[in-house]
Parts: sequence; structure tokens; C-alpha cells
Amino acid sequence: MLRWLGLRIAGGVFVLWAVATLIFFALRLIPGDPAQAILGGPGSQASPEALAQVRLDYGLDQPLAAQYFGALGRLLRGDLGTSYALKTDVGALILDQFWGTLVLTLAALAAAWIFALGLALWTTRGGWLSDRVGSGMEIMAAAVPHFWLASVFIIVFSSWLGWLPAISVPGPIGLVLPVLTLAIPLAGFLGQVMRESLADALESPFALSARARGESETGVRWYHGIRHAALPGISLSGWAFGALLSGAVVVETVFARPGLGRTLLNAVTIRDIPVVTGVALVSALAFILVTVVTDLVDRIADPRLGTS
Amino acid sequence: MKSKLRPGEIVAIATLALLAVAAIAPGLLSTLDPLGIDPGQAFRPPSAGHWFGTDESGRDIYTRVIHGARASLIIGVVATVIGIGLALLLGVAAGIGGRGTDFALTRVSEVLFALPGLLLALVFIAIAGPGIATSTIAVGLATAPGYARIIRSQVRAIRGAPYVEAAIVLGRAPGHRLTRTILPNAIAPVFVLATLGVGQAIVWASSLSYLGLGAVPPAAEWGAMLAAGRTYIGTAWWMTVFPGIAIVLAAGAATALGRSLQNRTRQVNR
Amino acid sequence: MTLSTTKLRSSTLSALALGAGIALMTAGCSAQTSGDGTSSAPTSDAGPVAGGTLVYASGDAEPTCLDPHVGGNYPQALISTQYLESLVSKNTAGEIIPWLATTWTEDADGLGWEFALRDDVTFTDGTPFDAAAVAANIAHLKDPNTASSTGYLAVGKVKEVVAVDDHTVRLELSTPDSALLDSLSQPWVAIESPTALKRSQEENCASPVGTGPFIVDTWVKQDKVALVQNKDYNSPPADAGHTGAALIDRIEWRFIPDSASRYAALQAGQVDVIDNAQPDTIAAAADKNGIAELNAPRPGAANRIELNSSKAPFDDVKVREAFIRAAIVNDGINSLFFGTAERSYSLLSSVEALGLSTPEYFDTDLAQANNLLDAAGWAEHDADGYRVKGGERLSLTFPVSTNQSIPAEQSLFQQIQATVKAAGFEVVLEPMDLSSWYGALAAHEYNLVSAPYTKVGPDVLRILYHSASITPAPSGYFANLAQVNDPEVDALLDEASQVTDPAKRAELYENAQRLVLSQFYVLPLYDQQNHYLHSTAVQGLRAMPTVSTPTFYDVWLDR
Repeated sequence: MLRWLGLRIAGGVFVLWAVATLIFFALRLIPGDPAQAILGGPGSQASPEALAQVRLDYGLDQPLAAQYFGALGRLLRGDLGTSYALKTDVGALILDQFWGTLVLTLAALAAAWIFALGLALWTTRGGWLSDRVGSGMEIMAAAVPHFWLASVFIIVFSSWLGWLPAISVPGPIGLVLPVLTLAIPLAGFLGQVMRESLADALESPFALSARARGESETGVRWYHGIRHAALPGISLSGWAFGALLSGAVVVETVFARPGLGRTLLNAVTIRDIPVVTGVALVSALAFILVTVVTDLVDRIADPRLGTS
Repeated sequence: MKSKLRPGEIVAIATLALLAVAAIAPGLLSTLDPLGIDPGQAFRPPSAGHWFGTDESGRDIYTRVIHGARASLIIGVVATVIGIGLALLLGVAAGIGGRGTDFALTRVSEVLFALPGLLLALVFIAIAGPGIATSTIAVGLATAPGYARIIRSQVRAIRGAPYVEAAIVLGRAPGHRLTRTILPNAIAPVFVLATLGVGQAIVWASSLSYLGLGAVPPAAEWGAMLAAGRTYIGTAWWMTVFPGIAIVLAAGAATALGRSLQNRTRQVNR
Repeated sequence: MTLSTTKLRSSTLSALALGAGIALMTAGCSAQTSGDGTSSAPTSDAGPVAGGTLVYASGDAEPTCLDPHVGGNYPQALISTQYLESLVSKNTAGEIIPWLATTWTEDADGLGWEFALRDDVTFTDGTPFDAAAVAANIAHLKDPNTASSTGYLAVGKVKEVVAVDDHTVRLELSTPDSALLDSLSQPWVAIESPTALKRSQEENCASPVGTGPFIVDTWVKQDKVALVQNKDYNSPPADAGHTGAALIDRIEWRFIPDSASRYAALQAGQVDVIDNAQPDTIAAAADKNGIAELNAPRPGAANRIELNSSKAPFDDVKVREAFIRAAIVNDGINSLFFGTAERSYSLLSSVEALGLSTPEYFDTDLAQANNLLDAAGWAEHDADGYRVKGGERLSLTFPVSTNQSIPAEQSLFQQIQATVKAAGFEVVLEPMDLSSWYGALAAHEYNLVSAPYTKVGPDVLRILYHSASITPAPSGYFANLAQVNDPEVDALLDEASQVTDPAKRAELYENAQRLVLSQFYVLPLYDQQNHYLHSTAVQGLRAMPTVSTPTFYDVWLDR
């Protein structure tokens, strides 16, 4: 297990390096002059002197290799560079924005799990109608775009009913609509996968033997079913986390919530290369951590993997 | 019993057939021009003349939903093929290979997949420019991580299963193991993923349209219509509701059909 | 022409408001959507009350720097109007009025200007406002390290700044500049504390220090900027509604990019004022109690589509005219803008007194468009109904900046695309983000383009249509997007920027505009839209007549 963990950590470092390299070169394929981006902004016309100054200040006049190794060297020291647009330290900027997004995504992940598992356990093999209704709800939920769902929520719960704020406010009340918006489509997706495994599990020999031993249907469902329903769900959680970060881009824009998603969208549109790289690295790191944890849980939940 | 179609399947097949007709010969279902503007008739609610109402330029939304089937289905199918193709390549190879292959390929896939899907899509579109083709590829790229994770996990779970161990004990060649035992069992969840994926890809493409990076207007494409209508959601609900229903119907029908296909193959196998 | 009536009404109204201050303003103004920079809020019987926090929600991108000297765009101007002040301002009649400078004189040769400055003003960090401060600010604008763009252009002709005494400053110019006062009235040339300017740019961007009615308190990036009242404020411009400190205690300046969310937040009472209001919500709000509109078209250029005359097919004036004759614009403006925008036939905004409106060049006439295209050699049609010449399709590339064109405008472009198809034009719309859009323009990959340009005064014509503006900056950007390269236009614009006689200047600008319009380089659409919606609790809101940014100095909350 320790050897496995060690390998995973080494792999993680490799992935981070590869992500940094990939992003560094990919972003330079984007048409547009970084110096213009630094001075940029709608309606601005940069003077030649200003552009020259900026190229010098940010080392953009140096060869690409020098820029790459310079950036890598700074990364090793934990320095993510300075934002082109905001002129602040990228590490500090991301740290500022990170918590809002983390709270949002973790809450959404938890909510999605509860919705999906609850619906799957409640309706799977619970009779023709409930199975159809449950699976229909999941299909619909998975097919709803975030931005559309968010708009409907705002219209219904803010404009018509006036129950919840339309834009983010500090505190739990401001989290309700953004979390629901993110969680519902994800719950649809998780639910479909869970339903498959659960249905299999409920027909499997061990479920039959448990029933034969006289365990109640509810017991079989909640005790044995949950493990099997959860298995693909856990393995999907790493992906789900990434998907939530993507969803956060849209949700943070619609609800005017500060966070990494909005930072990323702004940074890509104005070609703020250090910020894009920083967000990519941080989300890669988060992804790696989540993946290691889910693999670990996978091993515990599915002993077949642990012994192989 | 097995050969008979159940009511749900009939509905799903009928819906998909209707969408196929709309995609292949939209002229059969509506004779109007999906791009024909009439500013004097803008923002009309549903009526006998315009079943689904009209949009901000007075275009007939029913006609646009019909004509949108082709673009939206192509985006959905092609993006899913790209996404699942990539994922199968990485996921299956990682799943059946030895420890070393698995480790290396999993790292490679993690490098690609450690980036949030939308970041990949945004960067790709920033490089290649917006449009239907680029956003389709971008969606394929962006959705691959989910597929790859679940395929690998599935393949590895199957690899540890008794019947595969039996195949190893029996001395079957790895290629034989792959085609006879692992793939047939791994492919079932891929079916569910793929059928879900078509709808999912249309949804993703619509999100890119909302961010201003998707299908180029005034092309009739459901995602783009949804995104355009969102601006007017408070004043003209029909602009978002009907393309939204089309997306949910298409995604739902494809999923339902994939499900029952999967159930049938499973029953046959047993 | 509608211009004169609007002007008349706005100047009468503002004269009323000016004469009696807030009391009369709140009693007298009940006009809906008047387009004059005064709000249509129903009025309250109670007098102004002090105190309270106002929440402002901006749809523009969050500025990357709160000091408008750095870069210099409209979002910066919007917020800095609350805490920075300029040497001069403008009233609604278009006349330059005193602000931090009390009087000014121009040398006979136009090469020197002397400004007498107020001697009782201090920056909010305690630094006194004086001639040295003005010199430090102009030096800051001209310093390449500042990376100023808009302000840099505004003081481009200032060669030297001399402090005659503590409160008299002389600007020496390289050539006469008839637009100098207009330029100095802009928020991008506002005067900041020289002590604060000495700090690092990062610090100064986060908390610029001025003499304005509010002070930057905190800035939580991606969330909000908090502004607090300047208790010692004593320098309102000559046309303000009251004197002394502002009435409200605090402004929370939030950034809500999504237009539907912004409007919902206003409806729910979470915010008090929103900018970039969409036409359909303005129309919807007109029927609602509790929400009022402030319509303040921006100065400078009108929103327009420019026809790139530097390459085929628009290098042929016949093809340009055919396009303009074939494009049906008015129907779309009527339906898409719900009566909130009025068709323009001018290069300049309707708030510019020297704008020339020429509807005669913009009559739609499909038959004439077809004749012109036949005459220009585009006589054949292909299978899709588009015209061809020598195997080339009559195809026009139209990059659209999704950041700068609101959805209604993008829909209008689609309608133009559909209507010119009747004449055999293919228009390829390419929506893109701002950076890609700049890239496409720099690479000359466009036949049609719509680009806003805000500047005070008709000198904007020189920036947009003088051939010198075709030469790109090192960044690749150039402002003369129609690529008008006409020595006659150049000569008129050069002369106009230097003459001192107002009548002569007006005549020169009129001739230049007529030349550009008659050659079909430009299809004007409407004024640069600048609509604000606000809760009726917000009283006394007005837009600065300089670049139409709202000021919260006279505002009080009637809650």
C-alpha cells in the first residue's frame, strides 16, 4: 500500500510538470500578443513605448525556451508568477478564489451524491412505475444545461417567489441556488450509473441468499445495495469534481460568485497566461488528490482490486 | 416476450425516428425557412401560425427546432464518438495492460484529464476559433476524462473477476481475453455512457454557445437557440422552452434505447 | 433631424435642474426615457436624506486597475468617476465648465494654455492639490511604465508642464489642439494625489487617491469594490446639485456579468443600480413600479458598421453603396430594441453638437443595390443565390466581438445578414472573444466590423477616419477600421483639430463627415447605448455630461 502511494505521488508530480508544460506551449498557440493583453482592455490603444516596456518587464522579448525554463524555475519555488491583467501574485489570487469554489463544488458533490443515491435506492426495482419515474428524472436531470437551470431558478425563486437571492451573498442562503444548479445535472449522471450497478446487485446471488436468510428487502437494499451502487459512483467522483469545476465557470458567472471558475473564464478571454496556468495547475493538483483518494476508497470498497 | 417491443421502447424508437426524419429531410415537417427573418413578427408567443412562437428576429421557432435536429445530432454523435474513442483507447489499454502499461497510460490520460474539461475546451477554442466543428471537437476532448475513468475502472474490475482469472488459468492469449471476456463485459457500461453522451454533448455545446464560443448564429442549432433565448427568458419563455424540450427528448430517447438494448444483450447472455 | 430637438429639451431640463438644485430637479422631471442623461425616476415629496449604502452592479468586465491612467477603458471610467476628478467638466449644453481648474486662457498662437487652479482642495491622503500635482499627473500619463493608452492620447500634444505658481499651471503644446479642453474633461485624465502616484503601480491600482466625493476603501477581486464617503469633500463640478460631502455613506460596486442575473438582482432589491440594461428588460421595467431608467448615450462615435475599403469587394464604392442600400436596419432596431434606441444617420453620437446626420445616404433600395452590383461586375449568381465574379463569391467576413455587442445588436447583425442576401451578398458572422477579435482586425481578416469608440468631442473623427490611423500601433490595432484613405478628409481633419474659430471648426468637421458618409464607408446604427436601471429609492442620479458615466455625488436614498 505504501509503495502504491509512493508511486502515486511520484506520478502526481509528473502529471503536474506535464500539465505545466502542455499549458505553457498550448497557450502560446493562441493568436494574440501577450503584451497587448497586459496593456489590453476594450478601447485601449497601447503606445509603442508602453508595449516595449511591457515586453521587457515580463521577459516576453526573451526566447521561448528561456521563458519556459524561467517559468518552470519559478514554479519549483512555488511562485506562480504575476497576473498580466490584475498585476497581482497569481498564487495569492488563486488562494483567495479557491475557497469559494471548493465550498461550492464540495457542497454540490455531496448534494449530487445524496440525490442520486437516494433516488436510485428508492426507485430501483421498486416496481415498474417507480423505476421508470426514477430513471426518467435522472435522464432529464442529466440533459439540463447549467446556465438554463440557473436562469429558471433565478426567475422562479428570486423574481417570482422572492425566496432566495438572485446573486451570491455571503452565508449558506447564497449557496442554495448555485449548489442546486450544479448538483442536479450531476445527480442525473451519477444516478444512472448507480442504478445500473444497483439493479445488478439486487439480482446477484448474494442478494438472493441474503433474502433467503430472511433479511428484509430494505436491509438488502440499503446494506448490500449501497456498496455496489456506490462503487462506480466513487470511481466517477474524480471526474465529477473536474466536471463541477467546469460547471463552476458557468454557475459563478450566472450567480456573480467570486471563484476559480470565473477567474479562469476571464483569464482565458483576456489571455492572462499566468492565471490560466495557475488555475490549470491548481485544478490538476485537486484532481490528482481526489483521484488518489477515490482509488484508495475504490480499493477498500472493492476488495478484488486490493488483492490483485 | 423478449422479442416484443415494450411501450417505452416504442416511444423511444418513434422519437428517434422522428428526429432522424427531421435531420435528413426537414422539409417534410416544415416548409418555412429556418433563417427567414420577419422583424415585424418578432417575439410572438405560440399560436396557430407559429406553433412554438417566434424568436427575436421573427423566425419561426418550430421550423428552427426541426432544422436544428441535424446540427445538434451531428454535434452530439460526433463529439461522443471522439470522446469515447479517446477514452476507450486509453481506458482499455490501461485496464488490460500490465502494471507498467497501466501506470504509464494512466499518467498520460491524467495529464490530459487533470485539466477541467471546460478549460481544455476553452483553450482549444481560443486556439482554433469558435464554430460548430471546433466546439464539437472541444466537447469530445472535454468529455473524454469521464469516459476513460469509468472504462478503466470497469475493465480492471472485470479483470479481477473469476471468469477472467479462469481464462488466465486456462492459458488464453491476452488478445483472446480482451475480445472474448473483457470487452463484452466492459462494453455494456460504455453503451450507457455513449447514449447518455449524445445528450450530454449537446448540453456541453450549448454551454459553449452561452459563453459565446459555440455554434455560429444564425444557424439553427438547439444549444445556440437555447443560449440566445436565455437573454429573453423573462419576456419570451418559448424561446428557451422548446429547444430545451428538444434536447431533453433527444437525450432521453437515446438513453432509453441504449438501456433496453443493454438489457436485451444481458438477458441473451444469461 | 432629431438631434436638435433632443438637445433643446435636454438643455432646458438641465437649466431648470441647475437653477434650483435638487429640490427643483426632484419636483420637475417626470419624462420617461428622455435620452438626456437625467433619470426618469418618479419623484419623492420628501427632501434629500443623508446616509445609507448603495449597491451598484456592473455588467462590464471588472477593471484590472482602478487607476484610469493605466490602460484607460470605460469600466474604469465608470467607477473612477466616483473618486477622481478632472481639471474641467462639461455641462449638458456641451460647454466646458470649471472643476478643479477655475479659469483658463489660451495663447494667441494656440501653443500654450494657462489654468488657474482651486487653492482649497486636498487629496484624500492629505496631499494638497496644486500645480505640482497637475504636472506629476501628466508626467504619470506620459510615463511608458504607466502603460496609459487613452489618457496618453489625450495629452499627446502636451510638450511641457510649467508650474507658474502654486495654483497656476501652464501647458506648452507641440501643435495647437482645439480638442484640449474636451480631452482634459475625460475621466482618463483625472488628477490623482502625487504622493499616492509615487507608490508601486500595484498599490496605486488597488487604491488610487483623488479629490472626489468617495474614497476607495477595499477591493475584493472578482467580487466587489467598497467606496466610502469623503467627509471633507468640497470640489464638485460647477453643474452639481449641491455642495459639501456626498449624501450616501457607502457604495458597494459589484460585478455581475450575466444580464438576466443583474436584472433579477435589481428586481429582488439586492442591488440599487445596474448598468448595461438589456432592451427587453428596459421595456419590461417601464411597466413596473419601483424601477426607473437612466438613458445616457455615450459621446464620441455612434455605433456603426464599418466597411473595410482597403480590399475587395469594398474597395469599389459601388459595392459599398449596394451593401448599404440592401441592408434593412430600421425594422430590426424597432423590434429588437423595444423603442430604447433610435436609428442614427451620423458618424457621431447624438450628444455631439457637431454631428452631421444624413438620412439621404441610407435609404434602402434593393433595385438600386442590384443595379450597382451588376455595374460593378458582380453580375452572375451561384447555386446558393450569391453573386459571383471571376469564380469568387461576393462574401463578406464580419467578426463580432461578443464582449462589445449586446445580444440585441448581434441579432441585428443577423437580420442585416438576412436582408443583404436578397441582393446576393453572403455575410459570414464570426462571433469571437475580445482578444481574437483584436487579432482578426490586426490581420485585416474582416470586410465588415462594428467597434465602439468613446471620446469627448468631434476630434474622435480624426482618430477614426484620418489615414494616419490606418498605420497600426505595434500591437497591430488601428482605429480607422473603414480604412478611409482620402487626402481631402485628412486635410479637413488636420485643420479642424488646430483652428480656434468655432464656426470654422464646425464647418470643417461638417465637410469631413459629409465626405466620409457620401462615400459609403460607414453604416451608422444608433448611439452607443448606455442604459441604467435603478430602484426608485435612488434619487438625484445623473450622468456626467463628459463621457456619460453616472455620478452618485447628488444621490440620496429614499427607503
